[in-house]
Amino acid sequence: MFEPPVQRLIDELARLPGIGQKSAQRLAFHILNVDEVDATRLADAIVEMRRDVRLCSRCFNVTADEECSICRDLRRDPAMICAVERAQDIPVLEKTHEFNGRYHVLGGAISPIAGIGPDQLRVAELVNRVEAESVEEVIVATNPTMEGDTTALYLARLLKPLGVTVTRLASGLPVGGDLDYADEITLGRALVGRQEL
Amino acid sequence: MVHGYPDRRLYPPLMALYRDQGIVLRGYPFGEADRIVVLLSPNRGKLRTVAKGVRKTKSRFGGRLEPFTHVDLILYEGKNLDTITQASIIEAFTGLRSDLDRVVAAGTMVEVADLVAQENEPTHRLFLLLQRGLRVLDHGDLHPDLVTSYLLKAADIIGVAPALDYCASCGKTDDLHRFSFAAGGVVCERCRAAGSYALRPGLTDYLAVVAEADLSQLPDPDEALSREAIGVTRRFVEYHMERRLASLAVLDG
Repeated sequence: MFEPPVQRLIDELARLPGIGQKSAQRLAFHILNVDEVDATRLADAIVEMRRDVRLCSRCFNVTADEECSICRDLRRDPAMICAVERAQDIPVLEKTHEFNGRYHVLGGAISPIAGIGPDQLRVAELVNRVEAESVEEVIVATNPTMEGDTTALYLARLLKPLGVTVTRLASGLPVGGDLDYADEITLGRALVGRQEL
Repeated sequence: MVHGYPDRRLYPPLMALYRDQGIVLRGYPFGEADRIVVLLSPNRGKLRTVAKGVRKTKSRFGGRLEPFTHVDLILYEGKNLDTITQASIIEAFTGLRSDLDRVVAAGTMVEVADLVAQENEPTHRLFLLLQRGLRVLDHGDLHPDLVTSYLLKAADIIGVAPALDYCASCGKTDDLHRFSFAAGGVVCERCRAAGSYALRPGLTDYLAVVAEADLSQLPDPDEALSREAIGVTRRFVEYHMERRLASLAVLDG
């Protein structure tokens, strides 16, 4: 046990994911040793993020405004929506520079086994957007897991009757990988989704 | 003692490698990029394992440890969870993954297997039932009575098969038009207890046929009877497991 102010910080840090008692101690003593302005900046960053950040009213991405910067950007194509499981997936897709539409954060994936159904996700909100924003294509960019695939199948069933094209991110071989290390399911999908050169 | 090698007699190997097979029931994220993978092994019953790094896109496990996959595994024993070091696919059941209703049916099958299987308890019958169920789903259209039949067979394996051709209360073999969850099957008019409820005409015989038939040779379905059969069977199984079947409820809303 340390003195109460130190122990309090250690206990708080140890509640973060992936941080145990020992790491929490190391971080706490690091913060104790840095300049006070640096420590204050960290504290302010936490407070400001919690105070200012909310969910975009359109796509549920994290934002400091009513709508996120992507939804406000007039150069982006409103006819395309890319549906992702979590807001963290958006920067990853943005880094590819291959997509110029808008996003929709579902807030998870359908999991029959865990009992997570479409009503626990932002599916109804997506349907509303498809109807209201004259969307032409919805790209389902959920994880290539059983849950992500199930979500994609469900969205296709729900959205296709609305006259919108529903597509799925391709599954296949990771760039830089070796063919003989690929598993049958991945390789099978790569074959089915092969492209003409 | 050879220099540099510990004496085997003094230091027995700390971790034991073993080989087993199983069908993946479910997985959930663990730590940064690992996943806890729960399997049904015919030899060891429910097997709780950890697959390290499986969530990274370049993981050597790839899609091998997704639910419904039948895999051959090399594992090493850990204190709580055994770690998967190698996995190869025996049967992938790729066909059933492309159809929402079949995925939900497969989800129900693995969910029930997960509920009734115990760790360290061989469970060949349950394993074979699950394997058969997934195979039937993989190869053809979803028969409306497939899940009903699977549930009734699973109930039989754990010893709670509902009585369908005699009164669960007095053993009488005719006049069976009511179902009682507490009594454990159909009951006759005389034994009708509070909480039992009337079955649609013909449903008792329909359930008996579905319970007996091979999963791949179910009789032609009757839509109305089918719907009530799954309803009764589902509530019966939920009553005995004291749990709701989440998979079947997923698309209810």
